[in-house]
Amino acid sequence: MKRIQLSIILLMIIFTGCENILDLRPKDKLDGIAMFSDPEGVKLYMANLYSQLPIEDFNYRRDGFNGWIGENMYLSMFTEEATHSEYSAFLDPNNLLWWEDGYSLIRDVNLLDNVIPTLNVSDQQRNSMIGEVAFIKAYAYYYLVKLYGGVPIIDELQEYTGDADDLKVPRSTEKDTWDYVLRQCDIAARNLPSVWAGGERRATKWVAYALKSRAALHAASIAKYGERAAMSGEAVTKLLVGIDKSYADYYYEETIKACRAIMDSSSFTLYKENPANANEAAENYRKLFEFPQNATDEVIFIKGYTLPGSGHDNETTFNPAQTANGWPHPGRMCPNLELIDQYESYTYPGSSAPIQTSTAPNDLTDYSGFNVNKAYHRYDNPYEIFKNKDARLWGTVILPGTQWKGVDIIIQAGLIKPDGTAQILTGDPFTYNGKTYYTYGAANNTGYSGFNLERGNYTRTGFGFKKFLDSATPVVYGYRQGLVDYIDFRFAEILLNYAEAVVESNYMKDDAQNQAYIALNRIRHRAAHTVNIPLTIQNVQRERLVELAFENKRFWDLIRRREFHTLFHSKKRHALQPILDLRVTPAKYIFVRSEIQNSWPATFYEQQYYRPIPGIGSNDLIQNPQY
Amino acid sequence: MKNIIISSILFFMLLTIKSCSLDNYEKPNAILFGSFIDQETGELIEQDIINGTKITVIEHGFETPQEQYLVVKNDGTYRNTMMFPNTYTIQPKRGNFVQIDPVDLVIKNETKLDFLVLPFLRIKNPQIYKSANKIKATFNIEQTSIDKVQKIGLYVDPEPSVGEYKRVFAKEIPIGMQVDSSELLTIEIDLNTVSELKSGKSYYFRIGALLNVPEAKSNYAKAVKIQI
Repeated sequence: MKRIQLSIILLMIIFTGCENILDLRPKDKLDGIAMFSDPEGVKLYMANLYSQLPIEDFNYRRDGFNGWIGENMYLSMFTEEATHSEYSAFLDPNNLLWWEDGYSLIRDVNLLDNVIPTLNVSDQQRNSMIGEVAFIKAYAYYYLVKLYGGVPIIDELQEYTGDADDLKVPRSTEKDTWDYVLRQCDIAARNLPSVWAGGERRATKWVAYALKSRAALHAASIAKYGERAAMSGEAVTKLLVGIDKSYADYYYEETIKACRAIMDSSSFTLYKENPANANEAAENYRKLFEFPQNATDEVIFIKGYTLPGSGHDNETTFNPAQTANGWPHPGRMCPNLELIDQYESYTYPGSSAPIQTSTAPNDLTDYSGFNVNKAYHRYDNPYEIFKNKDARLWGTVILPGTQWKGVDIIIQAGLIKPDGTAQILTGDPFTYNGKTYYTYGAANNTGYSGFNLERGNYTRTGFGFKKFLDSATPVVYGYRQGLVDYIDFRFAEILLNYAEAVVESNYMKDDAQNQAYIALNRIRHRAAHTVNIPLTIQNVQRERLVELAFENKRFWDLIRRREFHTLFHSKKRHALQPILDLRVTPAKYIFVRSEIQNSWPATFYEQQYYRPIPGIGSNDLIQNPQY
Repeated sequence: MKNIIISSILFFMLLTIKSCSLDNYEKPNAILFGSFIDQETGELIEQDIINGTKITVIEHGFETPQEQYLVVKNDGTYRNTMMFPNTYTIQPKRGNFVQIDPVDLVIKNETKLDFLVLPFLRIKNPQIYKSANKIKATFNIEQTSIDKVQKIGLYVDPEPSVGEYKRVFAKEIPIGMQVDSSELLTIEIDLNTVSELKSGKSYYFRIGALLNVPEAKSNYAKAVKIQI
């Protein structure tokens, strides 16, 4: 009975509450009017917009921003940069989607755009706000057009008046969408300050130019190289995807101008541009990513993480097994031999320097495994073979036998017994002359970091990963504990964008050829190179690959230059196995170029140059080719 | 109270069981099958099983119809045994032949639909043989258009479904121009230099050639099994 009374009372309360629900002002939240009438409220709202920006940071995986599939499949694992320690990388049409999130951000920014004229703020504040709004629009549409080609441009706040059809906007052409992005970048650059007085990490004039250079270069490449992967269908005939070749030079020139605005401002330079030697250069390069906050001379735009629990998973996911500090899933990012090969050697500047394991003529293409008759080069330690390779290799990758966090990182694939029998990736401990040797280089599985397939915790390729990692703090157990900042734009990328645009369009004005040659070699000098190399398309692309490795650039380079489907056609990526050779005393190391265990060849289908447009059944948009 | 709990459990069980009953739709019991046939020679047109020609079917009677795709077997035939009987708009897309118009067709029981098409290229007089630890393929190419031939290739796989996208090894040669049908083309694989192919095992070898038009797929000769 008491229960019934109680429920009646409850019901009464509920129904009473219904009376004026639409007129009530919530007491625990800011409503729209209060929010925008106070500059502090606007600032809060702006912070929310920034957090929605499609910045391809450390939490960007194949399932998108703040992806949480759990497999940790990063963009670099689709290129020649790396292989996942456990899974093969398959890009499917459901990956990298950003449609609803994108238009939700665009609506939010349009809301703010609408109230700016009514706000009671100084002209200076109003201008910077106009600039920020334009910057956020540019960033959102830049990412949308990169994924989908031409998209509906909704530049003004839409009002719902009862008919959903009124809200439908058709797709703009790909060219018009890129032009919109560049225009918004211009508005942003005109209105934003060069620096924020309080040092806040907000968009500046230079960030706007940097975004413009990245966007214009993407558009230019599609115009120039689109024909490498010509497609058909309604989206193509209506120009919703693809840009006519005749516009390539225009976009390259836009790239050049945006880069020059930053370069000529003298606001930025390269971090520690003149190293004394290669060792110092390697450490400088690594520190640039460990402490971006200390590299304000190079860094243009940073995304930071402040709260443990809302950071990223770099420390746990990337540390080698030996420094995992109890975390059960380390070592996911395994740099490929293909990437290691690309780094120049100081002895032969100007070309990639593939790892030679013997003098055999087919050494570089033979991946059939250890061959007892082959005369392998022998080394005293497992990293001597990389001597003279580019400093950035040493700053990006944990090489076998080198130190990380005070631990010798042991990466070994097996041993050759004195009688010449190979024991590779398998086998029991082997005792010889009173000493016991182990396949993976140590007695138990916490003592090494390579090749064991157990739980995907050991590198499959023979290389560990350290770019972006905290070199001092032990790994904290838990998700999203990483707090190292992410660099979104840095000066080195601007120099490389400039060099690429100049060489691709054969640009001659403003001493461009010479300036681009200087820009390209400035970056190499920072990596302790002393010999200049000529400005060629190949040199610029190799430099992009090694300088910007793992910064989510290579994937988009292959997309925009339409090289993906050619380079990744049943493509196998490879490992380098360090093997202890007991045929000689004292034992030495040999290296075998080999296939990656349990890995599959990767193929990129032309379809993937654009993502499928979702919801065409109801939004009446034209689908992209081949979906 | 206990009664309430028991009765509500029963009620939910009833709901659950109720929803289990079979729906009132017919099973997909119609079959669509057929072949891709060269309209001039009458031969079947060899296809890719992965990333090959796709047959787009659109079922009528829906407000927002979705495209569905059927794949084609290597030998140029196709067969889908799980279609709903209905009227469909059917069009093969992105194939290795000149695009044809869509057709409307009522599919019921076993419905046969052959496509008479003009292949981009014809591989003529294909010969694949082993000599002195080399695999040699010789053939002619007959063009049906004035477009350029992009590349020719010899594809190798342990499975008979070998093709440009299914292979353990491939030797491709870029061409980039028109090819005269009298010109004898040769592709050679030196087995001494190829670590992917193990001696003593049998592999399927297939000659392919790709025309340089948007979204074209390779044209093939029949795969040949050779022990190396």
